[in-house]
Amino acid sequence: MSRTFVDISGKRLPLSNLEKDLYPSHGFTKAQILEYYSRIAPFMLPHLKDRAMTFTRYPEGVEQGSFFEKRCPSHRPSWVRTAMVGHGDSEPLAYCLVNDLETLLWAENLAALELHAPLARAGTPETPDSLVFDLDPGDGAGMAEAVRVALILRDLLSNMALESWVKSSGKKGLHVFIPLNRAEATFEDTKRFSKAVAESMQKHYPDLVTAKMAKQYRTAKIFINWSQNDATKTMISVYSLRGRAQPFVSFPLPWQELERLAGQAENLQVTPEEAVRRAESTGDLFHEVLVKEQKLPHL
Amino acid sequence: MAVQGIWSGTISFSLVAIPVRLVTAIEPGRVSFHLLHNKDYSRLARKMVSPVDGSIVSPDEIVRGFELAPDQYVLMTDEELESVSPERSRTIEVLEFIDLKEVDPIYFDHPYYLVPAKGGEKAYQLLVEVMSRTNKAGLAKFVLAEREYLVAIISREGALELVTLHYHDEILSHEGLSPGKDTLSAEEKDRMTTNIKSMIEDFDPTKYSNERRTRIMDLVMQKAKERAPVEAPGMAEEPGDGPPDLVAALEESMRKVRSR
Repeated sequence: MSRTFVDISGKRLPLSNLEKDLYPSHGFTKAQILEYYSRIAPFMLPHLKDRAMTFTRYPEGVEQGSFFEKRCPSHRPSWVRTAMVGHGDSEPLAYCLVNDLETLLWAENLAALELHAPLARAGTPETPDSLVFDLDPGDGAGMAEAVRVALILRDLLSNMALESWVKSSGKKGLHVFIPLNRAEATFEDTKRFSKAVAESMQKHYPDLVTAKMAKQYRTAKIFINWSQNDATKTMISVYSLRGRAQPFVSFPLPWQELERLAGQAENLQVTPEEAVRRAESTGDLFHEVLVKEQKLPHL
Repeated sequence: MAVQGIWSGTISFSLVAIPVRLVTAIEPGRVSFHLLHNKDYSRLARKMVSPVDGSIVSPDEIVRGFELAPDQYVLMTDEELESVSPERSRTIEVLEFIDLKEVDPIYFDHPYYLVPAKGGEKAYQLLVEVMSRTNKAGLAKFVLAEREYLVAIISREGALELVTLHYHDEILSHEGLSPGKDTLSAEEKDRMTTNIKSMIEDFDPTKYSNERRTRIMDLVMQKAKERAPVEAPGMAEEPGDGPPDLVAALEESMRKVRSR
């Protein structure tokens, strides 16, 4: 096993297998993954801060299967910070907190290509910072339909004085976020709200939208997965790589880009190189999701 | 925030008060599985069932009973239990300092770490050093989750550990378990001594690991690689309208969206 060391903030981090190609059909090595995450870190870390992270690890690359890791690996360095989080009557687990560059690179050295975060921070696990609509295309539907639904959602919410932001999932769909940041609404509130919105969308756009999870209702439609608004659920973090054949990133998109590209929406996938270039030129387009304070009306 | 505490308060004795947080020291190595329905892999829920007619009993119909004799119960309400619970307290009150060697490990129940809270770092360090130098542990009382515990506060490698202790009346006597006093020959004693001496090592817990856990996790990973995991259906999707004001506001907003 090849091994090299980097020193970050006085902490020594061993990196291994840098030449290993974790996206073999496309060609993207562990060294490139580490470089991507270190360059995107300034934009990404504020979104991860103090969240009980779940890793999806691909130790043998994206074609060889993956596993979810909630429990922060016990062989972690002493400086990796953790938070104990339990849900309901389940036993609390120590989750990793990815608050700094060294922890992010340590996780990537473990091939944790996908970083998933709950909508609430570890200190306030019952009050989400944002509400999310996970737009998931069923078989026979694609990004073009997801874009249509996202734009309708934006307008629907905007009429209710709620601003929203959108990012690609890096897989097939889109994620629409309503920032809240008031430590006020609970998951029960965000779930009721998102469910009512999803059902209203389903009622008015029955050929385009379903609010039902079951697979048989989802063919050729966009499933608005409102149930992600839950303390036990996680969403792929903005700027995280995805474990698909080609390395794409979950990336924030300006609404104008969705409007412009509505017809040819497959172009919405963002590669790591493009992600770094765009983030460095425009800044963090998801910054408002962290700071904008909004209140869900009519609950 | 390194680790979230499960309790915070102060260690106190005579004029000393050290603000601390209690954090867990153990991550159980047990592999846990969920119970699924083999028809659709949905997660099964636990319900309380009447043994008389098999009907599901709702939580508001459940009361607590202490069994005095078979089929004879004394009922106890939450309020009554509350009235005899120890008062919630924010202090770990040190009663005595003891020599830890005198404590039979059978008393040790559950370990935690104590972490200094803001402003308590110096006093914490002082207690760590002095307890370590004098080889003493604190014997203290404190209330966690409505139960009063007897605990030992131990200085180890620069940090404080808190171990809850069993009360002495929880410990079963070994009377009747140990054999009588047969005479043992010097030769027998020597042989046993030689045997033991040949096996003496320094205690190194890292030499041993929970092999069953490792094997189970390896098997899980191998199976996950070989075939896609089974998928549970979505959560119960009870139909039903949202809050009436919200539904009305959505209809109004939707009318505007659709009219463009």
